[in-house]
Amino acid sequence: MVALYCGGGLRPLMLSWSRDLPCIWHALHTSVVCFKNRVARVRVDKGNKPVTYEEAHAPHYIAHRKGWLSLHTGNLDGEDHAAELTVEDVFLRKFMLGTFPGCLADQLILKRWANQVEICALVLRQLPAHKFYFLVGYSETLLSHFYNCPVRLHLQTVPSKVVYKYM
Amino acid sequence: MAAPSLPAWLALQTRARTLRAFSTAVSPVTGAPRLSPPTTERTSKHERAPRRKALPPRTEKMSVDQDWPSVYPVAAPFKPSAVPLPVRMGYPVKRGVPMAKEGNLELLKIPNFLHLTPVAIKKHCEALKDFCTEWPAALDSDEKCEKHFPIEIDTADYISSGPSIRNPKARVVTLRVKLSSLNLDDHAKKKLIKLVGDRYCKSTDVLTIKTDRCPLKRQNYDYAMYLLTVLYHESWKTEEWEKKKTEADMEEYVWKDSASEKNILETLFQIKAAEKNTELSKEELLSTKEVEDYKNSVVSLKNEGDNENTISQYKESVKRLLHLM
Repeated sequence: MVALYCGGGLRPLMLSWSRDLPCIWHALHTSVVCFKNRVARVRVDKGNKPVTYEEAHAPHYIAHRKGWLSLHTGNLDGEDHAAELTVEDVFLRKFMLGTFPGCLADQLILKRWANQVEICALVLRQLPAHKFYFLVGYSETLLSHFYNCPVRLHLQTVPSKVVYKYM
Repeated sequence: MAAPSLPAWLALQTRARTLRAFSTAVSPVTGAPRLSPPTTERTSKHERAPRRKALPPRTEKMSVDQDWPSVYPVAAPFKPSAVPLPVRMGYPVKRGVPMAKEGNLELLKIPNFLHLTPVAIKKHCEALKDFCTEWPAALDSDEKCEKHFPIEIDTADYISSGPSIRNPKARVVTLRVKLSSLNLDDHAKKKLIKLVGDRYCKSTDVLTIKTDRCPLKRQNYDYAMYLLTVLYHESWKTEEWEKKKTEADMEEYVWKDSASEKNILETLFQIKAAEKNTELSKEELLSTKEVEDYKNSVVSLKNEGDNENTISQYKESVKRLLHLM
């Protein structure tokens, strides 16, 4: 820990955090820069945490061991509307998270096919089937009217989260 | 009391709606858990999973010779319970295998072509055959196509994901025509080439007009055809100021009245005067074979540029011309 000294004669007002250096006024504690990336990855622990394939792989494995969760032409060279489609994606994910509380086993997959939107979701069998049917119909109708294009929902039920490994 | 009738009604509803398929369907008799199930199953509140039994997947009931296009008639996401193949996908853990197809997100991510088996494509072609017409038998070679349809129009349509079908790049129209198929004489052709400038490719004799200044493709096409018409008619007209064409404006080297002709005639006259030969007239000099050769070699040198052939031809013609004297 390297501490910067600035201003010799001034007494510090708050001694609580600069106890060991009584003549510091504004002590700036810096350390050597630590390039730690914490984005979208699960830290390896004792080995008792079950993770899915999606969670286990960090973002740098996209296009190597993972695919893309959202497929549309907006990010291709010379194509438009990337931003609008991304905002739509964010809304759709939040919407589905709220509509199927506690049922989603993994991230959503959003596919755009001409003007249709296909949402593929892995769900746990938490709710009875008639409730699932209702929620599917409700979300499809609501989203189709909201986005003015056909929105289709494809569910796949699994008994529990599919574990890839334990970290 | 509505309690006994209510689950039955719900069960009917779910059975009626089985058109929507889950990949693993929950049993249609969902009314049963709502009544009093055997108390032995309900040991604790958090053991809800045993209550919902899943039906066996559809793959177990599929026969080997089933009609696959009816399972996947259109592009659909991967349904592991409807695809009877033991596919695995994923990076395996150490000393493991890739993950199975149930609950595999990677298989859902990728686009699949299960709806485009050869059998399905054959069926599509059969259905589309009614709407197709034969290629006209008279147009059986490229030359005939070019002869009857000399103008070629290129347009592009763009499709992308999103609710909008508009793409501003779709308004570009490219018109290509060979000048040899247009009725142009020498002057008209030279004038047209000067008018269009870069749009003419000399090696392939193709004039390319690319229009995108109008907002609609139809308008751009009309504009391109209008440009072609105007160019054609303008190139046939001769304006007053065209008579002032100088040697610098010429597209190719013309021997007649050029500096080279004057020089060679002067040289020949001087040689003849030195040798005190009989005076030969200009036309007779020009018509001698050596001077013709020289003229050809100079013309080819100027028009085609310097290469082995032209330079050696020039050398030979000069040697022959001066040896004559």
